[in-house]
Amino acid sequence: MNIVLSNISKSYNGTRALRECSVAIEKGISTAVIGPNGSGKSTLLRIAALIEGPGSGKVSYGEFRSADDVKKLRQLIGVVLSGDTLFNDSVYDNVAYGLKIRKMNKNELRGKVSDMLASLSLSDKAGKHAMELSSGEAQRVAVARALVTEPEYLFLDEPTASLDPLNTEIIENALQEIRALRRMTIVTVTHNMFQTKRIADRVMMMYEGKVIEENITGAIFDSPENEITRRFINGIMVY
Amino acid sequence: MERLFYSIKEAFRLIITLDSEMLGIVSLSLGVSIAAICFASLAGIVLAYALAFRKVPLKAFVVSTMNTFMGLPPVVVGLVLYLLLSRSGPMGFMKLLYTPYAMVIAQVLLALPIITAMSHASLVAVRPAIKYAAKGLGASDAQASIAVVRYARYGIISSVMAGLGRVMAEVGAVLIVGGNIAGYTRVMTTTIALEYDKGNFELAIALGIILLLIALILNSALYMYQRKVYR
Amino acid sequence: MKRVLFTILIMLFFAGTSYADRIRCASTTSTQNSGLFEYLLPFFEKEAGVKVDVVAVGTGAAFKIGMRGDADVLLVHAKTEELRLVNEGYFVDRHDVMYNDFVILGPVDDPAGLRGIRSAPIAFSLINKRGTVFVSRGDNSGTHKKEMSIWKTLDMDPRWNKWYLEVGQGMAKAIRIASEKRAYILADRGTWLAINDSDDLGMEVLVEGDRILFNQYGVMIVNPERHGHVKYDDARKFVDFLISEKGQGLVASFRNKQGKQLFYPNAGK
Repeated sequence: MNIVLSNISKSYNGTRALRECSVAIEKGISTAVIGPNGSGKSTLLRIAALIEGPGSGKVSYGEFRSADDVKKLRQLIGVVLSGDTLFNDSVYDNVAYGLKIRKMNKNELRGKVSDMLASLSLSDKAGKHAMELSSGEAQRVAVARALVTEPEYLFLDEPTASLDPLNTEIIENALQEIRALRRMTIVTVTHNMFQTKRIADRVMMMYEGKVIEENITGAIFDSPENEITRRFINGIMVY
Repeated sequence: MERLFYSIKEAFRLIITLDSEMLGIVSLSLGVSIAAICFASLAGIVLAYALAFRKVPLKAFVVSTMNTFMGLPPVVVGLVLYLLLSRSGPMGFMKLLYTPYAMVIAQVLLALPIITAMSHASLVAVRPAIKYAAKGLGASDAQASIAVVRYARYGIISSVMAGLGRVMAEVGAVLIVGGNIAGYTRVMTTTIALEYDKGNFELAIALGIILLLIALILNSALYMYQRKVYR
Repeated sequence: MKRVLFTILIMLFFAGTSYADRIRCASTTSTQNSGLFEYLLPFFEKEAGVKVDVVAVGTGAAFKIGMRGDADVLLVHAKTEELRLVNEGYFVDRHDVMYNDFVILGPVDDPAGLRGIRSAPIAFSLINKRGTVFVSRGDNSGTHKKEMSIWKTLDMDPRWNKWYLEVGQGMAKAIRIASEKRAYILADRGTWLAINDSDDLGMEVLVEGDRILFNQYGVMIVNPERHGHVKYDDARKFVDFLISEKGQGLVASFRNKQGKQLFYPNAGK
């Protein structure tokens, strides 16, 4: 199912984050969302991932309207948000959360969780409390708990921001591995242009609450059509 | 002095031999207070959640009222409840005055502001990201709310313990609305007050020791539970 | 855990429903502190199958509780007012039950020199003249009413004197305060004798035997015509028991821990 957002607007305390933004995200494609801080990327991601409702406009997954089928659609989605978003439980309980929500039986759950911990090099951390982890470990747990439910749609908000190259590599490899097995739809908000080139099939450029340009990754970087996009990816101030 | 030593010795004898009158009083105390805390926790946590995350009319007023009522004088609660529950009062038809139920109501009123205000403080400290994270992992709106409450659980449990401590130690309100009826509404604190009057210090001292022990056990359990976080 | 809580709630729900019938008796702290009820009630409860819940307050508060309909029966000690309230229709079936007497307690060294005086009003006037500390219940109880009536015979209002302390507490507590303050106090003999550690208090009975110190206890039922829910039949059984030969015999045979008689039956006399 393709994700279609039409005419989405959203304000927080009077500040408009999205302005009549319309986007189509194709099924099975990895899309990177880039743009300056405050351009509405994270808001777009939360609304597309059905975490927040839009102020106005509508979100649909194929023939399903988000407003009617949120509960069912959320079961198909996995999200990694930016910042510290782990529950104050053990690493194991954090990763098991999504599976418990889906009422998976205990034995199957245990197997899935330990496989997932292994693929993010977290096996020895299972019993640790989330508060005791380093930032790299914490971010790997956040990725693990989103991937363990085998979502059809994966949303990542700056998944490797402020991580060292090794942690970044572990996370990107885990994503590539899973993607090699199942072609899921991925939307990644990122500020890292190298990462964008590594992981994205398509790129969306956001500016002041709207998508101003969208194209396949190679085309965006080689020949951006919009002047703001060109300046942004070349590291020139666009504010 | 001799009498004091004798009383203390007798108090320990009552505790060690599990004197039946003493046990009756202790179990009634625990029953009333635990029942009150169950009701107050349920209502208090739901109210605190609504105040923290929902649109509630007069929200600021309710929050500051709850904070003020944390220090509500128990005898005032007792007096107001007495006037309400009296046969000549508006709720007299319920026949609740001088029953354990009246004591439960009084204790709910005393514990509710503490549980609500302290739980509210813990809940507002939970970042929106926690709720987003739960939804992003497949939780329904209700399940996401539970995840938020769970995130604040250490503070919420502290608030419940603080409420329990207050109602267990309270004497003014339960004396007025319970009537200190032997074997029916006579709890630890009211017994201590009465036995002091009579000069029977043995039972008073024994119950005092038990009250302290209960407080000690509750606080140790809470400490152990909270320490788990930083194991 | 959930099951434990549930069990406690259920237990609480059924607590106190084990007796089919229970009546509520508003009485005084002096009667409760003496231990009379613990001695008397098991006999009645076994015989009549009616449980009696005693709420012990001052006589004045007991009147209020009865007048509001929050009790079925009263056992109190302020005869003049009891008769007035029966006349006004608040209570019915009033009977004398028993008596003891009030005494004036004071420090053993007796700074006001009351020892040997027979008249309570003269003793009070000496306290006033010498300004020695006096503790008053100040709670509208039967004892407090009696004390006020004695001051009244002297045509004076002791309040607002520096030596006069209104403590607003039950009888036993007031005696303890008087002991700490080395003060005089009017007390009912029952409570004084019932205090377990009275030897440690450094007080003794200094004035006794005056007619004005007579302390009559009476029982009466809340008028069921005023409060329809009053369990008149069960309350009547309790009244009948108290004034019966058996009940009166039990009152006479009641002894406190030191083996002293506290109450003298006088029903129907």
